[in-house]
Parts: sequence; C-alpha cells; structure tokens
Amino acid sequence: MGKRRRLLLAGVAVAAVTAAASLAASAYGGSKAGSNIIVDGTTGTVVNLDPANQYDYDSFTVDLTMFQGLYGFPNGAKLAPVLATGCSHSKNLKTWTCQLRHNVKFANGDPMTSADVKYSFDRVQKIKGDQGIWTLLTYLKTTTTSGPYTVVFHLTAPDSVWPYILSTNAGYVVDHKTFPANKIVPNTDVKDLIGTGPYQLTKFTPGQQAVLTPNKYYWGPKPKNGGVIINYYSKSSTMKLDLEKGNIDMAFQTFTPTEISAMQKESGLVVHSAPGVVIRYLVFNVKRPPFNSLAVRKAIAYLFPRQDIASRVYHNTVTPLYSMVPKGLPGAIEPYKTLYGAKPSVAKAKAVLKAAGVKTPMSIQLWWTPTHYGDASSDEYIEIQRALDASHLFKVSLKSAEWAQYSGALGKTYGAFQLGWFPDYPDADDYTVSFYQTNSFYNNGYSNKTMDGLIAKERAARTTKSRIKYLEKMQTLAAKTLPTIPYWQGNMIAVGRSDVKGIDSTLDATYYMRFWLISKS
Amino acid sequence: MTGTSLRTYLITRLALVVPMVFILLTLVFLLMRVAPGNPIEASLGGHVPQAAIRQIERRLGFDKPLYDQYGDYLWNILRGNLGRTITDNRPLSQIIEQNGAATLELTFFAMLVAIVVGVVIGLLAGRHRDTWLDVGGRLFGVFVYATPVFFLGLMAQLVFGVWLGWLPISDQASPITQALLQTHTNIFFIDAIWDRNWAALWDIVQHLILPATTLGLVTAGVFIRLIRVNVIRTLRDDYIEAARARGIVERRVVFHHAFKNALVPVITIVGLNMATLLGGAVLTEETFNWPGIGHELYLYLQDRDYTAVQGIIIVFALVVVAVSLLVDFINAFVDPRIRY
Repeated sequence: MGKRRRLLLAGVAVAAVTAAASLAASAYGGSKAGSNIIVDGTTGTVVNLDPANQYDYDSFTVDLTMFQGLYGFPNGAKLAPVLATGCSHSKNLKTWTCQLRHNVKFANGDPMTSADVKYSFDRVQKIKGDQGIWTLLTYLKTTTTSGPYTVVFHLTAPDSVWPYILSTNAGYVVDHKTFPANKIVPNTDVKDLIGTGPYQLTKFTPGQQAVLTPNKYYWGPKPKNGGVIINYYSKSSTMKLDLEKGNIDMAFQTFTPTEISAMQKESGLVVHSAPGVVIRYLVFNVKRPPFNSLAVRKAIAYLFPRQDIASRVYHNTVTPLYSMVPKGLPGAIEPYKTLYGAKPSVAKAKAVLKAAGVKTPMSIQLWWTPTHYGDASSDEYIEIQRALDASHLFKVSLKSAEWAQYSGALGKTYGAFQLGWFPDYPDADDYTVSFYQTNSFYNNGYSNKTMDGLIAKERAARTTKSRIKYLEKMQTLAAKTLPTIPYWQGNMIAVGRSDVKGIDSTLDATYYMRFWLISKS
Repeated sequence: MTGTSLRTYLITRLALVVPMVFILLTLVFLLMRVAPGNPIEASLGGHVPQAAIRQIERRLGFDKPLYDQYGDYLWNILRGNLGRTITDNRPLSQIIEQNGAATLELTFFAMLVAIVVGVVIGLLAGRHRDTWLDVGGRLFGVFVYATPVFFLGLMAQLVFGVWLGWLPISDQASPITQALLQTHTNIFFIDAIWDRNWAALWDIVQHLILPATTLGLVTAGVFIRLIRVNVIRTLRDDYIEAARARGIVERRVVFHHAFKNALVPVITIVGLNMATLLGGAVLTEETFNWPGIGHELYLYLQDRDYTAVQGIIIVFALVVVAVSLLVDFINAFVDPRIRY
C-alpha cells in the first residue's frame, strides 16, 4: 500500500472518530430527564408491591406513593388519621372503631368504603404471604363493618399501638375489585395494583424502573411534580456517576459514606440529611459463653467506640446511639450513656471484669455480615475490634458470613453478632418489644420476667404518658441487663441536583420518601 | 449413505443432550441446597419471628426430605413448569422473556464487535506477519483477552463516560426513554425501530456501545489469534503458491482465496465462545447495570432463591447446548469426516 494511501486512510479514520464523538457528545448531552418528572435513583430491590406480601423498605418506598392506611404520617413524624378521620377504642384496648373519610376514590375511580378496608385486612391474614407482613396483625382476631364508613377491629389482646399498626403496609387499603382474595398480585400487573395514594403505577420493569404518574382521583393535595421514575441500580458508584451527569435528578438509598463525603464537595449537587430511625446494634446470646457473663457484656459496653465508628467509618452520617430507641422518637432516653458513659473507659471495664474474676485478655468472636448492611460493615467491626484489643482486656476475632447464611444462624450459632433495624412504624414500641420479649426473633436467649411484665403493661397502657413511662423503664432495664448494645442511629440522606426542591421537607424520623413533595425549578 | 450417516450423527448428538442436561439439573439442585441459608431466611431473617419463618418454610416444602424436593423439581421441569421465583413471585418465563431479551441484545452486538474486530485485526496480523501490525495485533489480542471484563468495563466507563463524557455508562437506555418505550419484543433496539422512534433508537445505541464493545473485545482476543494463525497457515498452502505463480494479484490471493478458508474454523469458535460470552455477560451486566439475565442470576444467588437460580442456569445451559449442537451440525454438514 502506498504511503499516500496510508496517510489518507489514517486521516479519514481520525475524522470519522472525531465526528462520531461530537455526535455522541451532542446527542448524549441532550438526553437528560424530562422537565417536570422526577427521576430518582436507588440501589434498592423491589420484592413485592402487593401490600399483602410486602415487608422490605424498597418495596415500601414505592407502595407509599400508591397506597394508604387508616393512619399514617402525612406531615412529618406525627401519627395522624389518613383514610380514617379518627379511631376510638374500648376500655380494654381490644376493640378499635374507626370512622372512614368520605369521598375517597381508588386510582381507577372506584369509591373506597369499609368493605374495602375489611377485605384488605382479611386478605393479608388469609394469604399469609411469604414475606411475613401478616405477623404485624398477630393480635387481630376479626375485622367487621358497620355501614359504609365504619370499621371495627377486634383484637385478641390489648394493643395500645394499634393505630401505628394501621399505618404500616399491613394496613394498606386495596380495591377489592382488583386484588384477588387469596393470591398475591404480581409486580408487573400494574392495572391491578390500585390504591388511594397520590400516584398510580403505570409501568414496572423488575430490576429496572418503576414509573409513577399522578392519581387523577386523589383526594388530597396534588403532587408537586408530573410523575416519578424510580431507576434501580446494582451499584452506588454507577448511580453516583449518573447523578453527577444529570441522568437522574436525585438519589435516595444508598451511597457509601465515602461517596457522600465526595458529593458534599461537588457543585451542582446538594446532600440533604436529617436524623433518621435506622439503627445498628450488637446482639449478645446471653446463654452462650462468654457472653452469658453480665460482667463481660458490661465491659464491652464500657469500651464501645461509638464516636470513632461515627466519625472514622461513617464520616458523621450517623450519630452515636445510647438506646435501642433512636433520638427524636417520643420516649427515647439514653440509659447506655448514663450507665456506661459517652466515651469508652478502659478503667471501668477493667474494674468490672476484675470484680467478676474474669481472666484477661479474654478471647471473643464477633460476627458481622458483608452483604446486607453495606460496605462499611467491615470497617465498623474493625473499629470495634481495634477498641477492644487496645484495652488489653479482650482479644477479638472477627467472623463474617453472607447474609443468606448469617440470617438463618444468628443467636442459634453466634455468641455476639451485628444486626440493624428499620422500624415497622416509627414508635419506641417497635424498638423495644421486638428485641426484649422472651423468644425474640434473633434467638439470643434473653428472657426477663420484669421486662415481659413491662411489655404487657405498655401494650395495655391507655394514655401516652403511661406508655412512655413503661417504655423508659424498658430501656433502662435493657441497659442494665444488656441483651444488646445499640451504637449508631443513621441519618436519612438523599442527594439531589441543585434544581430539585422539596427533599428537606420529607426527611424526618419516619424515613418516608414523600416524592409528591418534590419538584424541579 | 451420506444422508444416513448425517441423520445418525444428528440423532446421536441430540440424544446425548438429555443426560448432559439431567446431570446439570441435578448438580444445580444439590449445590443450591448444600450452600447454607435458604430464601426465606435470606428475606425474613433478622426481622420476622422464627416461628413465622418455619411456617413459611413448611408451606413451601423446604422441610420435606431432599429426595422429595428433588422429585418435585424434576417433575416440574419435565412439565415445562419452571415455576415462580420465591423472593418476588415472578414467573421464570417472564425473567427469560424480559431479562433474556436484554442479554440477547447485549451478546448479539458483542459478538458482532468480536467478529469485526477479531477478523480485521487477525487478518492484518496474519497478512503482515512479523511487522508492527502483527506485533500490535497480537499484543492487543492478548491484552483484551487477559484483562478481566469488569476491569475493562470500568476503564471504558471512566474514559468514555466520565473523562470524555461521550457515552452513557449504565442501563439499556435513559430513564425517560425506558419509561416511554413501548414493549413489543423486549429487545429495545428492535422495539425502537418497530415504533420508528429514532430518538429512542439513538439513545439505545449509545447505551449499547460501551457494554457491547467491552464484552466483544474480550471475545475478539480469541478470534484475533485464531484467524491470524489460520491466515498464516493458509498463505503457506500449495494452492496459494500456485495462485501466485499464475500471476494473480496479491490482494485477490489473500482475500479471495486465503481468507475465506481461514475463516472456516471461526464458525466453531463462535459457537464454543457462546459459553464464555454468557459468562462474561454476567460481569458486564453488573458493571454496566445492564438488566440482563446474568444480572438477575447474581441477585437471586444472593437471596438463595432456588427456583430462580435453577431456572436461569437451565436456560443458560440449554442455550449453550443448542449453540454447540448447531455448530456441530454445521461442521458435520460441511465436513463429512466429522460424523459417526
């Protein structure tokens, strides 16, 4: 081939590449999100959208836009009637009568009546979905109606938190004409997933997108946007890049602490943050040596490096936690701070072990999981190991297992293990009863008659004041007997482009992402 | 006689598929159950009371003896019932249709890239043996073959997506395009053409470039070396010498005579590389957030969703078996020596 010909070919190649790049840049630069539609990114995974089988946060985030219960959190963290106008209860707290809001319609125009409410609760109990949401209705015996706008709940035991249960997805009201009584509606059957919420699901592609458009029959204030697209990502790094490039308007759940720190310094992006209700805690199997020794548990409580975890591992996107009940919820106190101090104390830990005749350094195993609570879990546990080893009172070996194996083992196999908690409802009851009752879900062997008595009294309390009194006592007793050590409370964080408004108005102790409050300028 | 031996070969090969697939089904079943944890614990552990978890496990038959579960599993497969996933109640057929289509789209264009790049560079390297073209081509082939596909993908995202900003780094299309695109075949490329939605088509093509090129380059590495070797060997054959001796122009000798013969083994390699391509597709899909069947397999594996994992692996296996069979048939048809 002649030299001139080679040069000519090379020149053509360069020109072609340049032209292609220019075309690509210009066209790609134009494919940004539409004007009034909010495109949200998330690394979550939707499991089930049918409320009768939905019990995970990512599915809940979508359902929150489509469905409503008799009670809810329409404006911040205060429980308020939503589809009900109010509920009254019998003296023994076993019968609850609720009056329904009139003129509420489903997204297909069907009117909502008490028949739909009864149908919805009956359905959850009958189907007993594999995700386990029906366990929230354990105390519900029957649901009856009295006219088109009155529903009566008959419980098997007193339950002072029944209105909170009504706010969960177990209490979401569905259209009896579109939801079958004994089957779960598949996620892609969008025409059947009909609720009374501000949005309707118009398209769902598993693992990819949920497309929500405003419900034209919605009884409440109209959403501040023309619709929402939730885009699902498998990696937060990819989501971060798309957010930076403007392919999505905002992202909620879940960036790593390092990514959040980096985005805080970027122009064009705003990191919105508020105290949240997600917690992280260490569980002890109180029957398994060496954690069956209260002295050992107390020593660990005295040494726990909450501040280091919050600052070094999470870059202050979490705050130290001194009770299983996160700060901000009514009834929250800080008994762990009172009893064990805000900062680690080697001297006190040493003294308690010496008094109990425990030989040191003591070898212990701490278990954690790398595949459920985010990438920072390993750093979190390295920090705990570092603090305990540095005291020369313990020699910590860290063990980990993938979540699928870990979640089945917990207290059955492990002596001390990591867990996190996102509440069914944002009330102190949900942060105490589940953990402290005998035969708790994590099999840690904890059984305390005084605690069981307090739980029963709290559930039967007829005033908020008395409820809070029992909740405080439960927290104090738990701090003294140490079935768990809570250590951080996570902030609710969402990152938006600078033209996105309204994110701050939805960040609160409920951890609800109320997309209908968000708009773009 | 020829027809009979080919028919015998075809029947024998088809018959061998049955035990092959049976062994694979059994292995998958056992491996999923040997791994600790089950889908119910994975979904509900750490949140739901143990009694409720046990109740659900009993309802789904996880408490039955292993041989009972195996029998149910085989019986369902024989009836063509791949079932529904345990975690999100999705029919396996829907996963194959939707996510399988996404993987098909990716692997088709990746194979195109592999063939074009592999053939062009292999030909040039073989034709210009021991020149800078040859050395460069071979180095390039080794580099792309040896580099892990996810690393190649990450570098491509960094250079073309972040630094240069030329191309999108994830998904099959932009969120708005995806939301508005009408579904006909679940293959976005075809669906956009179907609707004559050229803006959507352009968006989809841009999203295809990085993942398809990444996956295609890895496979191209194999093609480059193979084609180069075949071109060199063919150019040394007697009939090529004869063609040159007759005064035929060198370009015609290479392209019209040598090249066509050098490409024959490529058919076999394309088929054999289908398995590699599918395996690479899993990692590529994870890197580029591509919603293919490999991506779903990864998610369901984490959840220990037996039904989903078993079903997807069966599909993978059947695709590889089908392509291998097709390649064998073509080879047997072309070369009568390859028959029973």
